[in-house]
Amino acid sequence: MLSRLFAVIRREYLERVRTKAFWISTLLVPVFMGGMMVIPAWLAARGGGEFKIAVLDETGRFFDPMAAQVSESLAQDGATLEVNLVRVDPGPDPQATREQVKEDVQAQTYDGLLIIPSTLPAAGQPEYIAPNVAAFRLLSVLEKSVNSVIIADRLTSAGLDPSQVGKLTRRVDLKTFKLGAKGEETRDQGQSFILSYFFVLIIYMTVLMYGMYVMRGVLEEKSSHIVEVIIATVRPFELMLGKILGIGAVGLTQMVLWAALGLALSTPAILTAIGLSGMQLPQIPVTLLVFFVIYFVLGYLLFGTLYAGVGAAFDTEQDAQNFQSVITVFLIIPLVLIMQVVNQPDGTVAVVLSLIPFFTPILMFLRMTLTQVPFVQLAASVVLMVATILGMAWVVGKVYRVGILAHGAKPKLKDLARWVREA
Amino acid sequence: MESLLEVREVSKRYGNHLAVDRLSFAVPRGSVFGLLGPNGAGKSTTIRIIMRIISADAGAVHLDGAPVDDDRRRLIGYLPEERGLYRKMKVLEHLVYLGTIRGLAPGLARQAASDWLERLDLGEWATHKVEDLSKGMQQKVQLIGTILHRPQLLILDEPFSGLDPINARQLKDLLMAMAKEEGVTIVLSTHVLPQVDELCTHICLINRARAILAGPLGEIRAQYGGNVWRVNVEVGADTLAELPGVTSVRPLRDDLLVELDDAHQPRDLLRELVATGGVESFTRFEPDLENIFIRAVEEDRAHAV
Repeated sequence: MLSRLFAVIRREYLERVRTKAFWISTLLVPVFMGGMMVIPAWLAARGGGEFKIAVLDETGRFFDPMAAQVSESLAQDGATLEVNLVRVDPGPDPQATREQVKEDVQAQTYDGLLIIPSTLPAAGQPEYIAPNVAAFRLLSVLEKSVNSVIIADRLTSAGLDPSQVGKLTRRVDLKTFKLGAKGEETRDQGQSFILSYFFVLIIYMTVLMYGMYVMRGVLEEKSSHIVEVIIATVRPFELMLGKILGIGAVGLTQMVLWAALGLALSTPAILTAIGLSGMQLPQIPVTLLVFFVIYFVLGYLLFGTLYAGVGAAFDTEQDAQNFQSVITVFLIIPLVLIMQVVNQPDGTVAVVLSLIPFFTPILMFLRMTLTQVPFVQLAASVVLMVATILGMAWVVGKVYRVGILAHGAKPKLKDLARWVREA
Repeated sequence: MESLLEVREVSKRYGNHLAVDRLSFAVPRGSVFGLLGPNGAGKSTTIRIIMRIISADAGAVHLDGAPVDDDRRRLIGYLPEERGLYRKMKVLEHLVYLGTIRGLAPGLARQAASDWLERLDLGEWATHKVEDLSKGMQQKVQLIGTILHRPQLLILDEPFSGLDPINARQLKDLLMAMAKEEGVTIVLSTHVLPQVDELCTHICLINRARAILAGPLGEIRAQYGGNVWRVNVEVGADTLAELPGVTSVRPLRDDLLVELDDAHQPRDLLRELVATGGVESFTRFEPDLENIFIRAVEEDRAHAV
C-alpha cells in the first residue's frame, strides 16, 4: 500500500516540479514582492537632481525667508536634491513678466516658476508652473517652505512670535512598543502589521493556488479517462491522498525556495548593491515561522481535500464552478474579518473566529503576529483542524470514489449526499 | 480445463436497475474468453466488479483459486472501456509509472517499456509527451501499459473500439501471439462479434444482466449448428419444407437453412434437391457468433414472455 502511495506522490511531485511554470512562479513571486517593497524606497531615495526655480514674488517680502527655509530643509534632508531659487523682479507689469518667465521655463532656462501673488498672505494661493509637476520631493520642499514662510508672516502680523508658536504646536507622535512574552519591549512602527498582513496573504494565496492544483489534477484524471486504469491498481483513497500530499510537497518546496531567495536577497551586500544599505529588516520570531508552516500545511490539507472532492464530482471546471466558489468563500471570509481581529486580537469574537478550522490558518496566524495567543488556544486550533481534516477526508473520500467514475449529468448536492451514503 | 478466473453468483443493483443478476462463469486457464452481449447487458459492470473498482452486492470472484484482493488484482492486466493517459507525461515515464504502481521495480519497468515501444514501432516517441502522439499511437501506449507487468490474465473491455482496421489487425495478432506463445489467458468484452469470432475459444453470452449461454465455442457452434444445411436452390422455402425429414426452413441472407431430423442424412436431402431442380450451393451450416448470439437472445426473450 505504501509503495503505491509513494509512487503516486512521486508522480504528482515530479510532474509539477519539472514544469517551467513552477520555476517561473518560484522566481517571479519573490522578485515581484521584493519589487513592491524596494521600488518605492528606491524611488524616494532617488528623487534628487538639480533644479533652477524662478520665483516671482509679487509681495517682495517672501523670497529671502523662503530661500533660507529651502536651504534649511534641504540640509536636514541630507541631500541628493539641489534647488537654486532665482528672484525675478515682477516689474511694472507682473502679468507680462509672468508670461516672459513662462517662456524662459519653456526654453529650459528654468525648471519651474513659483509665483507668490500680491494678495498673500491674506488671500490667494501660490502657484507653481513647470513642465514636470511630478518631481515629488522638489514639490514637497517648495510647498513646505512657502507654507512656513507665509504662516510665520501671518503669526507675526497677529502679534505672535513664530518660533514660540512653532515650539508650542510641535506634533507629538505616539511611540508604540510591542510587549513580548518575557516582558521585553520592541519598538514597533507598523512593521508588525505589514508583516502579518504579508504572511497572511501568502497563506491565503498558496492554499488557494495549491488547492486549485488538486482540483485540476483530479479533473484531468477524470476527463482524460486515465483514472479507471489507475484505480484498477491503486485504491481511490490512496490516489486522492497521494495527489494531495504530492502537490502539498510541491507547495512546501516552493516556500523553501522562496525563503532561500528572500534570505539571499536581503543580505547586506545585496541591499547595498541596490542602494538600500540602511534598510531595517523586520525580525521574524522562529515560533511564528514554525506556525506559518503548520497553518499552511493544515490549511492546504483541509482545502485541498475539499477541492479534490469538487474535482471528482464534476466533469469540467465550468461544472465545478459553483461548488468551487462556495469553498473559496470560506477562504475569503477570514480576509474580510482581518480588521475585526486586528482591532481586538484578544477579544472573544477574534478568539472564536480564529478557532473555526476554516478560518484558523489566516486568523489564528494573524493573531499570533499581533498578540500573545495562549498556548491552549494554539493547541486547540491545531486539534480542531486535524479533526476537521480527517472528517472531511472521510466524507470526500466517498464522494471521490463514486465521483471519479461518474460521467454525464452535473450532480446536485443531494446526489453528493447519496454518494456518501452509498459508498 | 482448470479455471483461472471464476465469477460466482455475482449481483449488482443500481437503484431500481439490476445491472448484474446472479452471474456465474469460469474462464479456463489459457483460453481466449469472449464476454459478449448487447450494449447495457452488464459486461462492463461485471468487469469492474472483477477488478474491484466497484463492489458487488453479492457473489464472489476468485482468481487462481483465491478471492481477488488488492494484491492479487495486480496480476491482472486491465484495459478499461473508458481509457486514457496523462497527456502531459512523457511516454516512457508514463509507462514506468503504470509499471511501478503494479509492483514492478522502476528499472525493470523502464526496460520492459522500452522493449515494448520498440516492438510496436514507437521507440522514437519514448521521450515525447503523450499529447504529441496520434490517437492510434496512444492506444498502443495504453495497451503496453496493460501488458507491461506480464500479467497471466488480461481483461480487455471493448479493446477494438476506436481502432482503425490496421491497428485492430495488429492488436488481434498480438493477442493471438500472447495466448499461443506465452499461455496468457485473455478475457475480451465486446458487442461487435465478427471482430472476436476468430479469436475466442470460449464465450459467455450476457443478456439483460444474466448469462444465457456459456462454454467452449466449438461445442456451442456444434449445438447451434446441428443437422442444419445451408443451401442455395431454385425451389422456394415452401417446397423445401415438404421434403422428407425436413423439420424447419429459415432464410439466412440469400440462402436457406434447412434442418433435418436425426433419421435423415444430408445426402438424402441433396438427392431430393437435385431431383427438384438446380442446386447452386450446399454446405454444412457453421453458425458464426452473430448467428448464435441473435438466436440465443431471441430464445431468451421467448422464455421471458
